[in-house]
Amino acid sequence: MTALDPERKRALFEATALPLTTVLYNTALRLTGASADASDLVQETFLRAYRTFENFSLGTNCKAWLLTILYSIHINQQKRAQHAAISLPSEALEARPDENAAGGDQRLPELDERWGPEVDRALADLAEPLRAAILLVDIEQLSYEEAAVALGWPVGTLRSRLFRARKQLFATLEGYARATGYLRKPVRPE
Amino acid sequence: MTAHHPLGEEIQDFADARLTPARREDLERHLATCPQCSRELERLRWAKQGTAHLPMHEPPPDLPARIAQALDNEDRRGSHASPLRRYLLPAAGVLAAAAAVVMLVSRGPRDLPSAVGRDFAAYGRAALSLDTASGDGPALERYFARRGLAFRTRVFDLGMMGYGLVGARVHQLDGRPSALFAYRGVDDRTLVCQMFEGSLDQLPQGGEAREHNGIEFRIFKEHGLTAVFWMEGSVVCVLVSDAPGEDVVQLAYAKAVKV
Repeated sequence: MTALDPERKRALFEATALPLTTVLYNTALRLTGASADASDLVQETFLRAYRTFENFSLGTNCKAWLLTILYSIHINQQKRAQHAAISLPSEALEARPDENAAGGDQRLPELDERWGPEVDRALADLAEPLRAAILLVDIEQLSYEEAAVALGWPVGTLRSRLFRARKQLFATLEGYARATGYLRKPVRPE
Repeated sequence: MTAHHPLGEEIQDFADARLTPARREDLERHLATCPQCSRELERLRWAKQGTAHLPMHEPPPDLPARIAQALDNEDRRGSHASPLRRYLLPAAGVLAAAAAVVMLVSRGPRDLPSAVGRDFAAYGRAALSLDTASGDGPALERYFARRGLAFRTRVFDLGMMGYGLVGARVHQLDGRPSALFAYRGVDDRTLVCQMFEGSLDQLPQGGEAREHNGIEFRIFKEHGLTAVFWMEGSVVCVLVSDAPGEDVVQLAYAKAVKV
């Protein structure tokens, strides 16, 4: 985008970026876990985006651009707070299909909005890089390539972390389904 | 047909429609006869569907006003600040790189070390985005060719040195078309490489000149940011990073080729 006069820049920014406030806030909330921190992160993201708005190409994916900025700020804030040691779980969730989880002779329950709070809790339990992969690909529907750029990872890393995240999410939700009786054997004919 | 179980990540590729048609057909045939892999697919889809039912939280009522106030302040600041001062507004999290940029910018706008320093800082604070994400060097070289760069690029494989390729963009380096590609190190450091047609004669005085394996290198270091330039034919290559300076130099030594 070429240089804009200030009024035009502000108008374009308000029309293009600000409608994504709720999207950014929900992502920020799930990254930080606290409403006040999420609000600060969103405000800083918009400020940073506004300062560099000339670098954004109109017509490209504004959500991906804003999420890239948001995640960059979040990671840098974590480093400053000396929480940089983002640990990933061990490779216990192996890449090959396993036999132990449900879905064999048991039917997975239908997922509906009643599961929302439980999914939120399961997401919060994921290591941050795994949670970030789910947030951007499954929730915000970015392509692998867009999410990889936003997170600063190679696409292969994004793919691998997304897989591990989904496996862990499945394991947690399956545990919940068992505990609450949602998971049941299929009805077999007499 | 796939005789062995595919890796779970490939089943995920199937669920996300990322396989080639031929591989997809192959896997479909396998899934039709393999309950274990079919269950894996079902589990991945189930987990993915779960996130579709997440509640959407409304932002706090005062957040839009806070954002508007921040933008107003920025507008007021912008109307009083010189373009240079506006550029130098420090970005959170890249203070070290920004400090380096302050020093480099003072050399003048047409100074190549300044320009690559600015690009490095902009990439670090996400103000400069990549056009394509890929860890595949040859694919990025083809990408640069498709995008019309008139010179041949060499995207380095730095995996053995602990740097993974993140992606690339066709860039304008101080008015010159350049191939820019970025790496992320195992220690989370960033390394940016640019290639463009030119000559080392275009570099300013100062810096350090070294020779290694018959290749001339020009090294500029400022406040923790190191830029190493060398020539390959008519192409200038530069590696820039906030990694320890000598590490950056050694990376350049390892990858530079005499043409």
